[in-house]
Amino acid sequence: MEPQSKRRKEAESDNADFWVALPVLSDQQSQDTELIPAFAAPITDKKETSRLIKELRSLYPLTGLTHIKRVRSHKSADGLYSPQVLLCLVSDAPDVDLHSESLAIESLLPPDIVRVEGLGLPFLVKIPAFPPLTRPQFQLASKHWPTTFHEDKQVTVALRGELFGGPQKARMQGYMEAALAAARAAAGLGSGQEPVGAAMVDPKEERILAVGHDCRGGNPLHHAVMVCIDLVARGQGGGAYSFEKYPACTAAMSPTSSHSKPAAESSKTIARVVEEGQPYICTGYDLYVTREPCVMCAMALVHSRIGRVFYGTASADGALGTKYKIHTQKDLNHRFDVFKGVLSQQCKDLYGLKDPIKH
Amino acid sequence: MGTETEMNGADLKPGFCPTDGEIEKWMASAFDMAKDALENGEVPVGCLMVYNNQVVGKGRNEVNETKNATRHAEMVALDQVLEWCRHGDVDPQSVCMRTVLYVTVEPCIMCAAALRLLHIPVVVYGCGNERFGGCGSVLDVSAAQLPHTGTAFKCVAGYRAQEAVEMLKAFYKQENPNGFLTLILVPLACLWSPSG
Repeated sequence: MEPQSKRRKEAESDNADFWVALPVLSDQQSQDTELIPAFAAPITDKKETSRLIKELRSLYPLTGLTHIKRVRSHKSADGLYSPQVLLCLVSDAPDVDLHSESLAIESLLPPDIVRVEGLGLPFLVKIPAFPPLTRPQFQLASKHWPTTFHEDKQVTVALRGELFGGPQKARMQGYMEAALAAARAAAGLGSGQEPVGAAMVDPKEERILAVGHDCRGGNPLHHAVMVCIDLVARGQGGGAYSFEKYPACTAAMSPTSSHSKPAAESSKTIARVVEEGQPYICTGYDLYVTREPCVMCAMALVHSRIGRVFYGTASADGALGTKYKIHTQKDLNHRFDVFKGVLSQQCKDLYGLKDPIKH
Repeated sequence: MGTETEMNGADLKPGFCPTDGEIEKWMASAFDMAKDALENGEVPVGCLMVYNNQVVGKGRNEVNETKNATRHAEMVALDQVLEWCRHGDVDPQSVCMRTVLYVTVEPCIMCAAALRLLHIPVVVYGCGNERFGGCGSVLDVSAAQLPHTGTAFKCVAGYRAQEAVEMLKAFYKQENPNGFLTLILVPLACLWSPSG
């Protein structure tokens, strides 16, 4: 099925287990737990628990904090578990002196609404301000105060680095090797090209559609990703440039399927143009690129409606994780998954090939 | 002419900024291009690159004909500037560093980064771009701390902004029925093509 698989096995099979593709998540998914101060109090008489919860809810409903559990079971220094209940946020409480030695519970809970029977002395706690989105966030949040957690299993698996395994991982490696080979070819050209390569893949057909490398020696905007996008356009009857003088930049049609595919491909393209009003030619495709794309390239991928992006190593001004996370940017009309770390060592090693003339 | 000497004086990059007269003149051309695009069913964005009082690049959106979604007007115009430099055998960077972009709509994030990469120092634009804008509307790529992404540039925003917005609105109004028509017509054309 894949002519390159044999070559790949011989060349790099040893490295298969030495890389892990990790998801590049949004800030909301990857940030530390933000905490807000609140008052809690021990429940000294468990029989009062449900009444207390009901009365507290009517007084302090904790709007916008539906992820927070009202009661927790707290392990004290002597190893015993006892229930504690959240009274209110500090910001919701009437003016109280936070520095006073003992806080009068009546100042927080008017006796006509909440009977304080069964409640101990109030104390300050910090509770998670937002619902946890990932398992690591959930675990951190739970250290402060228990929350609910609607787990996205795929994210959990991805964060463990276990989303891709076996044959899929081997295929991903093959695609990145194609990008690596292009990057090395670019470095070999001298003349100002950076050692960066990219490969566009149709994951459904398990087929490389285009391989490109950095050509900024010819045009400063011809970064590998831009080259690759134009090569895909060319492969579908469009394209703005000719990269003929760069033999390692190819819009490859796999030899086995070349008779039947172009027709199907072009009708598919038309369908897309029709549906969207614009040729979003990379819909559903995966891009493999040796280093994290810059702002220009990342946004070019948004415009092209890329499916997923896999990169080897981060870059200083990178826009898919380092400086920006354009793939998760709220106001943009297209978002996509990004994974980093595919053949990371080989991708890092490319920096050693940098053209010294350029600097 | 006065304007010309002023542009030549821009060798000192820090003070480099077009005069009101230049903005009026070149933006008038940019708006003419946008109008022309609108009349021809294209995205109504006009854009030109001016170096030494001379237009060294102009562009319009070429996304549809190239099937390449990155062929925005600014990218096309930047390629023309590079081509102009190649023809004249002059150093692109020294030209770009003294070239002003006049464009009717705020450049998108991609184009803003491309302008940085080529060291364009000033961008004059009409209305903001709420969907993709890279000069503050969605992200501020123009001024961000990106030491490996060329040079930050200055923006002069808001010139004839309302007019630019109206043209975009007119375009999107006419685009929708169009889109619907092609939705019906193109599959029909596909059905007919085997016999033709």
